[in-house]
Amino acid sequence: MSKKPNLLAASMLATLGAAVTPAVHAQPVDTARIEAGSPNDWLTYHGSYKSYHYSGLSQINADNVKDLGVAWIHIPGRSTRGLQSMPVVADGVLYYTGSYSRTFALNGATGDVIWSYFPELDDALVARQTHSPYNRGAAIGDGRVYVGTVDGRLIALDMKTGKPAWDTKLIDSQKLTVGFTGAPLYAKGTVVIGAQGGEWPGRGPIFGVDAATGKKKWEFLTVAGTEDAKQSWGNESWRTGGGGGWMPGTYDSETGTIWWGTANPAPLYDWSGPDYKTSGARPGDNLYTSSVIGLDVDTGNLKFFHQELPHDTWDFDSAVGEFVMLDRDGQKLVVHPNKSGFIFVYDRAAKLQNVWPIAQNINFVKSIDPKTGELIGRRDFSAGKVSEPLCPHISGGVSWNSGSYSPATGLYYKLGQEWCMRLEVVKTTPVTQPQVQLNIGANFTIAPPPGGEIYGHLDARDPVTGAKKWEVRYPEPPLASVLSTAGNLVFVPDSRGILHAYNAQTGAELWSHSDGTGHQGGIVSYFANGKQYVAVTAGFGGMATDDYAPTFGGPYKSMSRDDGALVVYSLK
Amino acid sequence: MFGTTLPAVALLAGLACVMPGTVRMATAQGAPAQEGGKLDVNQLFAGTCGWCHSDGGRVAGKGPKLMDTERSDEFIRNRIRNGKEGAMPAFGQMFSDADIDAIIKYIRTLKPDEG
Repeated sequence: MSKKPNLLAASMLATLGAAVTPAVHAQPVDTARIEAGSPNDWLTYHGSYKSYHYSGLSQINADNVKDLGVAWIHIPGRSTRGLQSMPVVADGVLYYTGSYSRTFALNGATGDVIWSYFPELDDALVARQTHSPYNRGAAIGDGRVYVGTVDGRLIALDMKTGKPAWDTKLIDSQKLTVGFTGAPLYAKGTVVIGAQGGEWPGRGPIFGVDAATGKKKWEFLTVAGTEDAKQSWGNESWRTGGGGGWMPGTYDSETGTIWWGTANPAPLYDWSGPDYKTSGARPGDNLYTSSVIGLDVDTGNLKFFHQELPHDTWDFDSAVGEFVMLDRDGQKLVVHPNKSGFIFVYDRAAKLQNVWPIAQNINFVKSIDPKTGELIGRRDFSAGKVSEPLCPHISGGVSWNSGSYSPATGLYYKLGQEWCMRLEVVKTTPVTQPQVQLNIGANFTIAPPPGGEIYGHLDARDPVTGAKKWEVRYPEPPLASVLSTAGNLVFVPDSRGILHAYNAQTGAELWSHSDGTGHQGGIVSYFANGKQYVAVTAGFGGMATDDYAPTFGGPYKSMSRDDGALVVYSLK
Repeated sequence: MFGTTLPAVALLAGLACVMPGTVRMATAQGAPAQEGGKLDVNQLFAGTCGWCHSDGGRVAGKGPKLMDTERSDEFIRNRIRNGKEGAMPAFGQMFSDADIDAIIKYIRTLKPDEG
């Protein structure tokens, strides 16, 4: 168990900018330590269970950020489809992953490699995958580093040596084609990881694995995971329903609940028309796809859910793993972005409190009732050409990457994306033999919003009401995660490869630096050997970014889609 | 930009080659992608290929534009079979030579959408 008083003391020192050296006899990373939090570390994909993507460090601040420079760089190699992961940091050691689940432990102050581990993957399978071979991060806990693989395994590595502790096959990826690209989550002796899915006709499992032994403890199927849910899939369409949970959620230790966002159903685009309850490819609401679910950490039993988009026929899933756990005016809230560009606010049992849009160009519905969650004026397509472009584009009104909440400013810094798509819905049939294939159900192309150009924007908003304080615009949508800090700073890694630092209160740009290639992954801050560092992954390529060269041209035409670097900054 | 299914494509689908049974479609819902073992390439693009080859291969997207491609049949055949690391999956296990012939014919007959 952790000793909270010591952690709190360390946190206070770090917040004051004091030199806190990594502990020689560091406490193990466990649930209590993650729960207590420390600005020195970055202990989960989302920084902590609160999922703020916020650093309490202030050594780098709005007054001195002009003196920020590159401290060291690490090249992971073989960054096929870029570098998309979020580092985690404990006791001055940075752990991160690259494509093919290549995993590194680095000295956070120097970049020296402490160990590396390159799992042997099923290369023949990887060659047949589309959503591959990128990896979005690792989890740490109980002395081990946990990483998933695109061939369906979850691997535990000793934190000190990098030697495998266990290697568990969870998905028959050779049959189902999908595996794991998202980071796992460690909580209470359990490692939770969700499968890819969505447009892949499967049942989208989420797994709980014993952290000590690697033995599977539970499996929750996001497609028809209960008998009640099975009734929401007409014509036995649950057999090829899609779903999944490809980004890590978080943990509510007060209730022992895993919060997870689930992916969309397959095919992406249904031809049901308005009568989607009884006709089309998958008649019904299609539970528990495009939903937020709460699972018991020990058993995987479903405790609650809210389906953000019943019968999602737009590929606007809920798989964004960001669950911002707020305490406001005595009320405990959870803020969760949906790919559609709507932000959902819940209580801690997923009872809806509010819904607000961050994207300006949304027309798949007219609105969402902020009290009931009802989709008002939804567009359910029939087969054939869709007359008015669908907004947002399939890449979403928000990315799968995360925004940042600053408890110092009370603002939520989140990127929104303004783009649309032309669409022709085509009836398809799921292909499951000899190996599962994509099931889209449409032909489509990217399109600008009505009367305007494609762009992206960083908004500083109240996370509960959506009230906007300021906005910064970008000519191409930035896709990476955002970091805010106690130094009154917000960092945004953009798609062109520029890392920006803004004043968190005003949005004024204070500093920028080129990382040489586009960003589409994580950014964290930590403390090592008396200094604050900001670490960002750079490296373009993949599902959304592959559209940038034909759409925007310019620097994207020559931007590599198979390399990347971890770039780490500190004050000069 | 999107029109009704192109006559050429419809013709191609009608003439599509006989599948050797390597691809079997689930019959849980909807119309089957193939009837009598014939590959419906238009549906294949709407289901799988169109993820990258936008608008049925007519415009550049995640993957290159296929309409009016100057690549040889041999190049296309090899790319479908073996893929390209980090860019295109290998479909050699999914498609027979006859299937790939049908896909190449589809590509060669692509025309701009008149919608």
